[in-house]
Amino acid sequence: MNLVGVSVKNVGRNKLRTLLTVLGIAVAVVAFVLLRTVLNAWTVGADFAAKDRIGTRNKVTFIMPLPKRYLETIRSVPGVVDSCYASWFGGKDPNHEREFFASMAVQTQTFFSVFDEIVVAPADKERWLGDRKGALVGDVLARKLGWKVGDKVTLTGSIYPGDWQFQIDGIYGATRKVVDRSSFFFHWDYLNESLPEGARQRDQIGWVTSRIKDPGRAADISQAIDKIFDDQEIQTLSMSERAMNMSFLGMLSTVLKAIDIISLVILAIMMLILGNTIAMGARERTREFGVMRAIGFLPHHIAISVLAESLAVGALGGCLGLFLAYPLVQGGMGRWLEENMGSFFPYFHIAETTALAAVGLALLLALIAGLLPAYRASRLHVIESLRRVG
Amino acid sequence: MSELPIPSPSPDSAAREVADHLLPSAGPALIQVRGVGKTYFRGKEPTAVLKNLDLQVPQGAFEALMGPSGSGKSTLLNLIAGLDRPSSGSIVVAGADLTHLSDSALAKWRARTIGFIFQTYNLMPVLTAQENVELPLLLTSLPAKERRRRAQTALRVVGLADRMSHYPRQLSGGQEQRVAIARAIVNDPMLLVADEPTGDLDRQSADEILTLLLTLNRDLKKTIIMVTHDPAAAARASRTRRLDKGALI
Repeated sequence: MNLVGVSVKNVGRNKLRTLLTVLGIAVAVVAFVLLRTVLNAWTVGADFAAKDRIGTRNKVTFIMPLPKRYLETIRSVPGVVDSCYASWFGGKDPNHEREFFASMAVQTQTFFSVFDEIVVAPADKERWLGDRKGALVGDVLARKLGWKVGDKVTLTGSIYPGDWQFQIDGIYGATRKVVDRSSFFFHWDYLNESLPEGARQRDQIGWVTSRIKDPGRAADISQAIDKIFDDQEIQTLSMSERAMNMSFLGMLSTVLKAIDIISLVILAIMMLILGNTIAMGARERTREFGVMRAIGFLPHHIAISVLAESLAVGALGGCLGLFLAYPLVQGGMGRWLEENMGSFFPYFHIAETTALAAVGLALLLALIAGLLPAYRASRLHVIESLRRVG
Repeated sequence: MSELPIPSPSPDSAAREVADHLLPSAGPALIQVRGVGKTYFRGKEPTAVLKNLDLQVPQGAFEALMGPSGSGKSTLLNLIAGLDRPSSGSIVVAGADLTHLSDSALAKWRARTIGFIFQTYNLMPVLTAQENVELPLLLTSLPAKERRRRAQTALRVVGLADRMSHYPRQLSGGQEQRVAIARAIVNDPMLLVADEPTGDLDRQSADEILTLLLTLNRDLKKTIIMVTHDPAAAARASRTRRLDKGALI
């Protein structure tokens, strides 16, 4: 037995109160881990973006199109290996109105050379490339909507109104975890040729993705591309895939910042809960502190005793929270999000840094929460403490 | 009673010299209270609890302090035990002038010299009897095994060898007070101060506790100062002093 051991034993003095406090901390830790994991999942796509790819979009905004003819110019820029254009289709399956998934019309000829992390069976690949109305869907999406190769599906367009018929020609997987496996790719030619002659959207593309030879020259090549179109009617903005993803996230920066702040507010609430519990416990033990001081313990011994108790409760809550967070956040919720909202959360896993931060912050905040009760307990007058009833 | 592993330390030479000077005929005085006054302030209103009090208690004595409520018994006990400081006068206990010790030196002195016995036992409910007794030894550099051994010995001295792993809630009032006495003697202090040690006990348990205190005084040569309202308890002491309105009568 030592002084810290005595303090830890005090944790079990009022079991119900300690249990409720530990549960309160655990819930706060789970909420913190969840919010941090949401933040991580949102940015993980940017962090794990291919380093040898750059994107080119309309300089004004990414929702405004580029002329298709820009492709050949971009492809001819020194350092560019290959390029692939795409347009956001925004289709929905009328049988699954509430299911959101990314649907894009892509240039099939160069698609696999630019996006080499996409994996599809050779026969399916061949079928899709040769089928103008063919669609390539992610395995997660196919599983969710019950699609299989050979199925005929109809999507209702929002940007391109009307019902669009497709045949599922292939189901893709990915070589990397962070790739969204809930997307729906089809031939850009099918989209373009279906538009009436003279339609505003005809021969227009959403963006161009280019594979480059040297990732270290991404900035130079981006600059070179944009310079070419500087004196054109429509200027471009090129950047690395990571920067492009980050610029997309930038639109959500207020939401992300709000989540960030909420996660910290949750921890602050946790600290107040713990501080209140420790203060109540210390107040109830006033007489005991008086006895300890009488038999020779010094004020710093009393302070250590209170702080050790606070740290023990914080550690219990932090560890329980983390223990619950893995099955709840990563197991149940994470799997559901990956399967149902793969476009936003392709890889929803608790990062090691998040787990460490959760426990570390629980301990740090427990220490801070215990400071005031510890100081006050250490300043108690011996005689007054011994007279205190209850 | 020779089971207690620490031999009773004798007062150092300085303390003995002072004691001899003060009490040449009654043996060395362990406690010397000279001209002590204690005044409390309620707001700006002073209340004199002790007035110019003189007291000498020889080593090995078992003395009872009696008096009506508010007469200053507990205040005097607290001053002798080094828990409080007098407003005037001086207190020398076991050779140490308490009025000149710093707070931290006073705490260390208490740990070595004083054993406390309270009316309400004041045991820690989360610790077993043995752990409660071991508590004062945490301030020493003794290894854990030796601390345990000494706590067990102290519990044997008070007759609770079979209750070592019991928690306070599993003990009777008399047994709790025995544990408190074991905690008071585990450091082998020279002086035991007891504030109404039988105040919360029935007559039979009170008698057992008083017998135990008498044994500690007689066999282990512990000096004991006991505050009590109970004439039967005071009768077990070798001397009874009475206080009234802050003065010995």
